[in-house]
Amino acid sequence: MRNEQDIDSPTLAARFFAQVQVVGIDALLVGTSFLMVEFLFLAFSGRRSATGLLLTAEGILDLLHYGWIAGAAVLVAIAWSATHGIFGTSPGRAMVYGLAEEERDLPWSQTFLGWFVAILIQLTFFSGWLITELDLVSFLTKFSKAADILNGLMHPQASILHQGAVLLVQTIFLAFMATAFAIPVAFVLSFPSARNLTRGTWASRLLYMAARTGMNFVRAVEPLVWALIFISWVGIGPFAGVLALWVHSVAALTKLYSEQIESIDTGPMDAIAATGATTLQILRYGVVPQVIPPFLSYTIYRWDINVRMSTIIGFVGGGGIGYILKPRVDLGEWGEVGTLVLLIAATVWLMDIASAKIRERIV
Amino acid sequence: MIVSDGVVPAIEVSDLGMVYPGGVRALKGVSFQVEKGEFLAVLGLSGSGKSTLLRCVNRLLDPTEGSVHIFGEEVTALRGSNLRKLRCRVAMIFQQFNLVKRQTVMTNVLSGALGRSRLLPSLLLTFPQAERARAQAYLERVGLPDRGDSRADALSGGQQQRVAIARALMQEPQLFLADEPVASLDPALRHSIMRHIEILNREEGLTVLCSLHDIDLVTRYATRLIALRDGELVWQGLPENFDQGIFKEIYGQEAEPASNSGY
Ligand SMILES: Nc1ncnc2c1ncn2[C@@H]1O[C@H](COP(=O)(O)OP(=O)(O)O)[C@@H](O)[C@H]1O
Ligand SMILES: [Mg+2]
Repeated sequence: MRNEQDIDSPTLAARFFAQVQVVGIDALLVGTSFLMVEFLFLAFSGRRSATGLLLTAEGILDLLHYGWIAGAAVLVAIAWSATHGIFGTSPGRAMVYGLAEEERDLPWSQTFLGWFVAILIQLTFFSGWLITELDLVSFLTKFSKAADILNGLMHPQASILHQGAVLLVQTIFLAFMATAFAIPVAFVLSFPSARNLTRGTWASRLLYMAARTGMNFVRAVEPLVWALIFISWVGIGPFAGVLALWVHSVAALTKLYSEQIESIDTGPMDAIAATGATTLQILRYGVVPQVIPPFLSYTIYRWDINVRMSTIIGFVGGGGIGYILKPRVDLGEWGEVGTLVLLIAATVWLMDIASAKIRERIV
Repeated sequence: MIVSDGVVPAIEVSDLGMVYPGGVRALKGVSFQVEKGEFLAVLGLSGSGKSTLLRCVNRLLDPTEGSVHIFGEEVTALRGSNLRKLRCRVAMIFQQFNLVKRQTVMTNVLSGALGRSRLLPSLLLTFPQAERARAQAYLERVGLPDRGDSRADALSGGQQQRVAIARALMQEPQLFLADEPVASLDPALRHSIMRHIEILNREEGLTVLCSLHDIDLVTRYATRLIALRDGELVWQGLPENFDQGIFKEIYGQEAEPASNSGY
């Protein structure tokens, strides 16, 4: 029986923290919208730089008054927080506490929050258009150059077929080795990365934190960057590509595996624990049988991704078919590029079908 | 090995209290004893603390107050291998059976022997021939002699609970805990499972602590009962002394002792 007084009421510290969150989120959003307003204002003011040219988007971004705007945004956020009775719920308040009762059923056009979000979206599109230098004119009028490339792609040349096929084999093995070596490491790491297995002791909680943080960092770095790191370590070639995909796969698989472990039925674990089994036996009997099929499914999915990645890892020197693709793109040998692109497309397509079929069987 | 001179109770629970990490108080000052050979039923509404109480006895949970003695030995603060030794002596079956669904029935029964198995072979799912023979004997005993090779989830609910009983017997336990063993079974199958437990109790003298919320089952199988309400022990006595007034005491004034409850 859940009694109200049994559950701790939020402490002063917790309430303060929530308030800081509200103001922080609001300041961020208000500040962003102020910056975009200033950006658009400068962009349409016709101001020129010292060299007399019209300001580029980057040039304008350099000129914005970040400090002043941040200060103003914080003031506005605090003011909104103090007056939310009058101006309605702010975005930050809505995220932390939810919408106020009386605002739930109102259409967006009748709340301050609704207008704020609508204007924010508009501003984002307008400034985004300028910042990414969207250029419809070029897009619609300068197709002829690209037509050469497309033409080349349509007429693949057999001259490179042999070399391409050989490197394709290397590409597939590259993906295979990276995935295969990632499995045991990710398997072992996934247990300390699962929340439900690491609640027991302080040591296990620390292990969880370490494993999670490490894996998140590794995953955040793209495989192409890992490839550059490993190329300077073991030299240009497929081995660097294997290592790059391996590191990234370990992190990705650990996350997928551990999420699977977190969603298991804990009943069998309890039952095995109740027989007097050791921790390893509990994992072997109570956890492993439940997670094997989803693990297999994720692993095949990962191999699929790795095959795609391995076709471009060669762009930076990581071996595989990308290694001969890059120079041909640079030289404009579009016929040969066409051959290689077709080879890659066929492989990825076959992998897709195979992996979907196998995964269907397992789950 | 164990002191059992008839004076020492099988289970002695003293002033037991449990507060979950979230702050929910599930047990408060619960004290009672279970004599050797008794079939003690724990009654109470759902949420009254029955599962919590049973889990404190084999220490799947760490109680926050009070103590539990099993055959005179304090078990409240056991850790590591001593805790595992305690669990080997106390078997448990669950409302949801809690079999390892993707493994065979045989492996499920054998897992009852994990506490006395060597680590490495057990991690490879291999067991000595003697254990396999014993597991087969228990499967025969619960009426499933030829289902050893089936996957556990291919069995019906009643069959799964019988496999769970076989797994529990595999522990060769001194105590048998059952947490609402028939609550998720078809009413027609409830007595079959309860009779298996009754036989263990009556014919082999195994001490049973079993939570139930069906009055009919309680009065038919238990030798004595205790009742929990909001985590407190509100009544204990013999089945024949259980009456209307006590029923309302436990289940609230609104409750009706329908004799067909659950049927
Ligand atoms: N793991 C848990 N964490 C927090 N509270 C729990 C947990 N398990 C049970 N409770 C609470 O403890 C009380 C007793 O639950 P339980 O022992 O499962 O009762 P019963 O088995 O009689 O239905 C309930 O209020 C329940 O919500
Ligand atoms: Mg329960």
